Amino acid sequence: MNPEEKGALQRAAALFRRGVLVVWLACVAVAIGIAWRTHYVADLSAFLPSTPSAEQAVLLDQLRSGVAARLVLIGLEGGTPAARQAASRQLAQALRQSGAFDAVHNGDNTQFEATGKFLFDHRYLLSPAVDAQRFSVDGLKAGIDETTSLLGTPAGALIKPVILRDPTGETIRMAEGMLPAQAPRMEGGVWVSRDGQRAVLLATTNADGADLDGQERALQQVRERFATLKAEGVSLLVTGPASFSVGSREKIKREVEMLAIAGGVAIVGILLFSFGGSLRTLLIAVLPVACGVLAGVAAVSLAFGNVHGMTLGFGTTLIGEAVDYAIYYLIQARSRPGAPRGDGAARWKAESWPTVRLGLWTSICGFAALLFSGFPGLAQLGLFSVAGLAAAALTTRYVFTVITPDGAPGAGMRQRLGQAVGWCSAVLPRLRGPLAALTVAAAAALAWWPSAWHANLASLNPVGPEQIRLDEELRQDIGASDNGTIVAVAAADEAGVLAQAEAAGQRLDKLVEAGVIGGYESPARLLPSPGTQQKRRDALPAPEVLRAHLEAATVDGPLPARRLQAFLADVEAARQQPVLTLASLTGTPLAAALAAQVLPGDASAGGTRPWRALLRVQPVDQATIDMAKLRAALADLPGTHVVNIADEVSSLYARYLKEALVQALLGALAVCVLLGLHLRSWRRLLRIAQPVAAAVVIVLAVMTGLGTALGILHLVGLLLAVAIGSNYALFFDQIREQQEALPPGAAFTVDTDTLASLALANITAGISFLLLAFSSIPVLSAVGQVVAPGIVLSLLLSAAFIPRRQS
Amino acid sequence: MLLLRLLPLRLLRPEVWAAAFACLLLLAPLRAHAAFDLPELARLMAQVKSGEAVFTEKRSVAMLERTLESSGRLTFSAPDTFVRETLKPRPEKVSVVGNQLALTSNNRTRTYRLDAVPEAAVMVEAIRGTLTGNRQAIERNFNATVSGQAQRWTMELVPIEQQVRDLVRSVVITGQQSWVREVTVVMADGDRSVMTIEQVSSVRAPGTPN
Repeated sequence: MNPEEKGALQRAAALFRRGVLVVWLACVAVAIGIAWRTHYVADLSAFLPSTPSAEQAVLLDQLRSGVAARLVLIGLEGGTPAARQAASRQLAQALRQSGAFDAVHNGDNTQFEATGKFLFDHRYLLSPAVDAQRFSVDGLKAGIDETTSLLGTPAGALIKPVILRDPTGETIRMAEGMLPAQAPRMEGGVWVSRDGQRAVLLATTNADGADLDGQERALQQVRERFATLKAEGVSLLVTGPASFSVGSREKIKREVEMLAIAGGVAIVGILLFSFGGSLRTLLIAVLPVACGVLAGVAAVSLAFGNVHGMTLGFGTTLIGEAVDYAIYYLIQARSRPGAPRGDGAARWKAESWPTVRLGLWTSICGFAALLFSGFPGLAQLGLFSVAGLAAAALTTRYVFTVITPDGAPGAGMRQRLGQAVGWCSAVLPRLRGPLAALTVAAAAALAWWPSAWHANLASLNPVGPEQIRLDEELRQDIGASDNGTIVAVAAADEAGVLAQAEAAGQRLDKLVEAGVIGGYESPARLLPSPGTQQKRRDALPAPEVLRAHLEAATVDGPLPARRLQAFLADVEAARQQPVLTLASLTGTPLAAALAAQVLPGDASAGGTRPWRALLRVQPVDQATIDMAKLRAALADLPGTHVVNIADEVSSLYARYLKEALVQALLGALAVCVLLGLHLRSWRRLLRIAQPVAAAVVIVLAVMTGLGTALGILHLVGLLLAVAIGSNYALFFDQIREQQEALPPGAAFTVDTDTLASLALANITAGISFLLLAFSSIPVLSAVGQVVAPGIVLSLLLSAAFIPRRQS
Repeated sequence: MLLLRLLPLRLLRPEVWAAAFACLLLLAPLRAHAAFDLPELARLMAQVKSGEAVFTEKRSVAMLERTLESSGRLTFSAPDTFVRETLKPRPEKVSVVGNQLALTSNNRTRTYRLDAVPEAAVMVEAIRGTLTGNRQAIERNFNATVSGQAQRWTMELVPIEQQVRDLVRSVVITGQQSWVREVTVVMADGDRSVMTIEQVSSVRAPGTPN
């Protein structure tokens, strides 16, 4: 090569290096831009399946946007009963005026006057008693007798003003159907708990379940308005899904920040300690992590349109693994005495990069499995980790080799760490036997003990147990049990779904009579289907017919026909009334009540989601409902599903777990295949798999032995432990290969710096996950508890099981 | 919800708690020397465990052309069950068991929580208090005035809670010795009902004096 060519080559190399830096900087800038504009969410619905079964769809609709997700349960405790009642009235009034709520119920019915008038005006369309028989001579006589029998009683006092317009008592018949069987206790005109010690209110936010900002504002309203009441000695309790999701978001945000800071401090401390306090080295070392986080956020943001707080908290720690890359490089690429500049980078590229790259591929295999899960939250996690690790590794490979071609200069504690690790790696292989025995014992114990995989969906809930208990108490006070049974019916449009609800209601009526269920609530009671309303309207007789029947029916009766002219006029008016629809109820409290029970479809917007009506079924006297009988009674009704919320939640979790298990196994399989293809040696594959598998078995046995309920996130954790732990095994395998490549008897000195880099990487990753283990968010702590011991064990067992030949 | 508080007000029909007071039928002969007052009445009522009676009721309502009449059966059993069954002119049934209220008419039965209907609950609780000798329950809900002698006594109950008083002005119970003879309910608008009761049978707590 002549000097000219050499010069050109050098120039090209320099240009290439500059180009790499420019491309890298451009990528970072773009990622920062995307991350800046990203929408961060924190509702737990991202951890619910995206392709649910019909029953789960009902549940999810409820959780995501149904009224169930918009409920705010409010309790007022302490003070005198009178103070609580007054506070309840004032708070309800203030909240109704705030505009943040669709409805605020506290038992005070005075606000329903307009609704009462509306119902009264439409009684002949709405009353279930209306049919042709009702207006025959006998029907009128019976109806009038029944109504007049209430006169002279307290109920009569309410009927008196309307009895001449409604002598057959249709108002009462409507009332019967609409009065809930599980109404809260009333005291002083407001709802109180069953023991009378607490006033209770129920509000529904305007804001959708997914609109956490809106829900947070609504909750803020509750606190602020209560604060201005100055209710002597009365304290405020707020719970319900809205408060849970807002509270969870707060908690997640707080913990993610705290973990990030704690992890950052710990890792920075270790790095400073190990690299002799060089700030420059420190900044370089955190570069891959920063790039990884940026890349993760950008990728998730682009693919999903938002980034979940949990993904961020999780993912940031996951790519704590990314620190490893920096550590490997900075230590392993340090220059040898007398070597030209850049020798370290070149050597690292040749010797260690293939191993690091293989480690990257195995990690990607592990995390990619999450990508294909049916849960958006887990998929986010997978994508975040894959993108983050890849960015971190590429930064190390292409940027580090340019900006710090000879690794890190500082010596720090590295040398001593290396010696210590060297000593360990000499001692550990001698413990091979006991460690193998330990592994076998752990495996045996796992086989012997009952399975610990019984965590439930509630274990994912970051809300504390006291809050859940408070929520249950208030729900019982209000009669809004969460774990109820719902009959969900579906149809293409509003009329269809109401007709379907009526059809289901007829079956349920029979079950009520037979004593199988205590009762049920149906939207069709508030708003009958157009067909039914039409039938009722058609049953209203012509004026002269009705007049004749009325004359005959009131002979010798307590109410003479001559006083019932207003009744005749009202029936005639009802014959001209248009049938009621959801739209005609807009603005009345009825619309809010119906919104809880009728979920509109999106066919008009070109979608395929059907209209759904939910009929809440009550048991007889707190007993459990015979689901088999209930299902059998509704079996041949198309589009009808019986959903037990508690069952559905646990089956949801079971599916969650099953999917995750399959993915974890696929991920582990992919890791093995990848290693097998790369190493092309069963012996080496087995050598690498041994310590990692043993670590997993031991961790599992310890968790089971401690009585921890294992769930999906422990599984995710195990997958991570395998993905990260196999990196260490790869390095030990690499050392062993280097040794075996030498002729027998040749002196082989293990590179203590490489060992030190392994230990250092292991310690930093271990600390990141250990911090997670102490998190109060179950999702994070479950992962930490498994991964932290898992990767430390992987390193120790790799040192023990993949020994180098003793020279 | 809504105007639907209406229906459980059926509970406020005098028969319901007249059913309870029917048990007064079963009272032991009162000791002549004792001052006859609420504690004494309550103490004696507490001894009654269950009973059955028949009733006839006449109701005069200003807006109706004639008096309404009905008749039927009343049963009570300690500690918290009342049933009032109207047989004429139309079959109807009101039963209260604990906090559960069931109404049956026209072959339809609806159940409600009693404490969700304070107008009814106050009375039922008061009656329950009376029958179980819980004078505090009565005094919590009513201003009670007991007058007369054991031979011929009268208890007038005036609801304390304003909401209830808006509907019911007073309840007057008269009795003779151990019997409740008559329960009169005077409505706030002047309508009234008078129920006369005849004992069929009773069971007393074991060991109580006759």
